[in-house]
Amino acid sequence: MSSSTSVFEAIKNYMAKNYGKSHGKMLIHTGVIGWILSAAAQVGAIVTNDKISHKQKMYLIPQELADAAVNIVSFYLITQSFKSVVTKAVNCGKILNKPVREFLETNNVKNVGKKTFDVLRDGKLPKDLVDKFESFRNGVDFTGTTLGSILSCNIVTPIIRNEIATNKQKKHIAKMEEYNISVVDPAKNCYLPRPSIQSFQANAYKSSSSLKI
Amino acid sequence: MSRISGINLIGQMSSSVTDSVVSVMPKTTISGKNTLKAIDWIGDKFSSPENRLILGVTALMTQPFIDARNKKVDEETRKVSVARTVAKIIAGTLTGYFVRAGCIKMIDAMTQLPSKVDPKTFGGRMRMLFTPEDAKTGVLQDLKMYKNALGTTISLFVMLFTNFLIDAPLTKYLTNLFTDKYVHKQKTDKGGTVNE
Repeated sequence: MSSSTSVFEAIKNYMAKNYGKSHGKMLIHTGVIGWILSAAAQVGAIVTNDKISHKQKMYLIPQELADAAVNIVSFYLITQSFKSVVTKAVNCGKILNKPVREFLETNNVKNVGKKTFDVLRDGKLPKDLVDKFESFRNGVDFTGTTLGSILSCNIVTPIIRNEIATNKQKKHIAKMEEYNISVVDPAKNCYLPRPSIQSFQANAYKSSSSLKI
Repeated sequence: MSRISGINLIGQMSSSVTDSVVSVMPKTTISGKNTLKAIDWIGDKFSSPENRLILGVTALMTQPFIDARNKKVDEETRKVSVARTVAKIIAGTLTGYFVRAGCIKMIDAMTQLPSKVDPKTFGGRMRMLFTPEDAKTGVLQDLKMYKNALGTTISLFVMLFTNFLIDAPLTKYLTNLFTDKYVHKQKTDKGGTVNE
């Protein structure tokens, strides 16, 4: 009981520490796990859908798998990049709201906008401006993460996943056609030798009656 | 060991790329009153359910058209693909939004500060079930983000089931509905046969 309680407490504290002040980070982590689960369920739905033909399944299954894989990669490459740039730009003072910018300029705070600068650490903002800054940062963070997600999930991923699925379908169809040809190809799979003119004549004479024309 | 240094290397590269991009960005001050209000409002009100909703709406505006333009596959496969994409977006967005929003609401009700409930009663203890120690001791006062994060994480566990119990069957149902209506019907209208 006590160990499960301490695990529960540890989870709560981990959540509070890691995500307590950041929307974007949480959206990225939950998004990735969500895709893996969703892809597994969707592939199952395609496989068990009798109304979709085999040929279409050969396209839709790789499309779904590629969707999850490409989504995860593009989400990390694009969305994470968007989020990192936006968060860094706000934290170091490159992008600021007017009240905070005015405060920093009025108080002659140096190095605003430099990569080592941190608005909350070095800006010495009063409490009301800290709240305004955090609210602004959350809004920009959410907007940046959402714009990055739209670009990666709704534009880049569908283009790449369709390309992958098309190639996979073509390969499967080519394999199937090759298999079908090999099954019916008499040159490869005929158990009886192909009749030649000589063998045909020999058989004809052998089985013919004495009647000659 | 080498894997850890590899991850560190990627992290360092990503960090230096971010620094380079930020260093060339011009200093920008958001001063418009309405813009600032909108950004603050988004930061205050929007979380993962809204993010899912926005992604779903924009997905409907882009993904079906990208599928429809994939001329490398035959027309029927393309149409079935569009139908499935639309079905998946509708099912995924609705389930994703309501599960996330519901979990965050539940967490909100069960993450109260000690000052707002009576910790001696069972009901009070239940309403503090998800309250972190830092909040109980007064170190952490704004629990909004924490509630959103915990609610979203719990919704992931819920979605472990809803993905299979609601999402996938609903996508299958809607796909068949759309394909029957727009793909097979058109085919029979043209004099073809329905693909069984």
